[in-house]
Amino acid sequence: MKKNVTLAYDSYRQDEVRSGLWKFVGLLIFIAFAFWTIDVLKIPIERVLSMFGRLGTMVSERLLPPEMAYAAQPKVVDSIIETIEMSILGAVIGTFITMPLAWFAAWNVTPSRLFLYPLSRAIIVVTRGMPTLMWAMVLVAIFGFGPFAGMLALVKATIGFAGKLMAEQIEAIDMRRVEAIRATGANELDVLFYAVIPQVWANWVGIIIYNWDAQLRNSTILGFVGAGGMGLYLREQISIIEYQTAMSIIVVIIVIVVLSEMASQFLRHRLY
Amino acid sequence: MTNISTIANPLRVPRDVYRRYAIFGVCAVIVLTVGKDIIIDETDWARMGTLQEMVKTALWFLPELSFFPKTVGPLLETLLIALWGTVLAVVVSMPIAYLAARNITPIKWITYPLGRGLIVLSRSTHEIIFALIFVSALGLGPLPGILALATRSLGFLAKTTAEAIENANPGPIEAIQATGANPLMVFCFGIMPQIFPIFVGNVIFQLDINIRRASILGLVGGGGIGLMFAEVMQNLQYGRAGTIVVGITAMVVVGEFISNRVRVRLI
Repeated sequence: MKKNVTLAYDSYRQDEVRSGLWKFVGLLIFIAFAFWTIDVLKIPIERVLSMFGRLGTMVSERLLPPEMAYAAQPKVVDSIIETIEMSILGAVIGTFITMPLAWFAAWNVTPSRLFLYPLSRAIIVVTRGMPTLMWAMVLVAIFGFGPFAGMLALVKATIGFAGKLMAEQIEAIDMRRVEAIRATGANELDVLFYAVIPQVWANWVGIIIYNWDAQLRNSTILGFVGAGGMGLYLREQISIIEYQTAMSIIVVIIVIVVLSEMASQFLRHRLY
Repeated sequence: MTNISTIANPLRVPRDVYRRYAIFGVCAVIVLTVGKDIIIDETDWARMGTLQEMVKTALWFLPELSFFPKTVGPLLETLLIALWGTVLAVVVSMPIAYLAARNITPIKWITYPLGRGLIVLSRSTHEIIFALIFVSALGLGPLPGILALATRSLGFLAKTTAEAIENANPGPIEAIQATGANPLMVFCFGIMPQIFPIFVGNVIFQLDINIRRASILGLVGGGGIGLMFAEVMQNLQYGRAGTIVVGITAMVVVGEFISNRVRVRLI
């Protein structure tokens, strides 16, 4: 009896020592990796140490208080309205392009698995992967400054963002209804309208609203690259080192985003 | 016998139908006004040039393949920034999640709103704005980029962790409390084991998103591939810009694929 207890205790100790050793090795690797990163990225250590003091003075002396009078100027208010308009139009046009794409990109009901499915999947994956701000810079180079380029950038962002979610919703539908409609001799379009859309519509509306919310977030900084909206004034104020007026625009951005998030949550809960 | 088509559909109450038409009408009016504003009023169509010119400009963006080897270094740098931003966010999000979880927050009417407020602030501000603030305080380079990523993603991590804590089974927590453990030990041994799989899944998801975010931080001086992109755009080397966009897209797509695989394996 006593022997068994000792054996069990020994094996427990062994496990403890082994796991402790592994943790130690892991920690060592982590530390080595951290030092390697500092070396590769050329992070100045002395600046890291004095970081908090600098951030503190920056926030207390230069950022605060925000000069809200700047954001109340007519030209800035116009740009804020332009931002919201851009997000609505980009989200709406993007949604109209996304809906058929999501249908093509759903494996279970896609009209052609050989051709349309891989094509639309590729479009969704690539638009998801491409950073919206860089895409906006490219569009500005092609179409010139202004909200039109920004709107097209948001269309791209919508296809990537909503396309994946909508296709996932279609792939999760009840296939028996699709079969029932097919059994009546319906073609693919009939199947879409009478079997697929009725099942996913409620979720799709939620996605559409959520997507608008996300695009509003994106649109607030598109002006940075000249693609319309309030980001332009933010960049202007920061480049002439007027942090307090820049802060007022940041405050406006936060307020708009929080309001839109509340609105989108309210709408989504009302609809379900 | 009544013709079936004349029977009113009991599910289609007229009031509902009118309401639906009203909603559609309002939406259509909003979209049309907005569309007119953006496409007709605000866009200078005369200055945009002909379609041929636009196509010509677009063709300049075709990737210049010989430039690709030079983008590998900055791409790796971007990955490192994303990784360390996430690590930092994980560390900082833990105490914030502790404050923002309704069932374990220390003082309900002070710390709970504080934690929630920090989460909203972090989640609703774009990473570019954080990067601008950090760059103006700390100078150019990857350091402000890492900090901006950390502040941006800690909100999501803290929010999901707090929600997981609120949904955790109170049984083990009470059992640990009954042994006389202090709050930190309760957190480590009563809560952490329960939420660990969800937490790891969220961290991997955040890492995947942070790769995407890190690639644009350089546009405002946050280091990584964005810096190179800003440079080549300024020099009007559009072919190189195209190469960089392709490189980033490939990196993000691969990252997302791996992250999806790992998360499916975890759950």
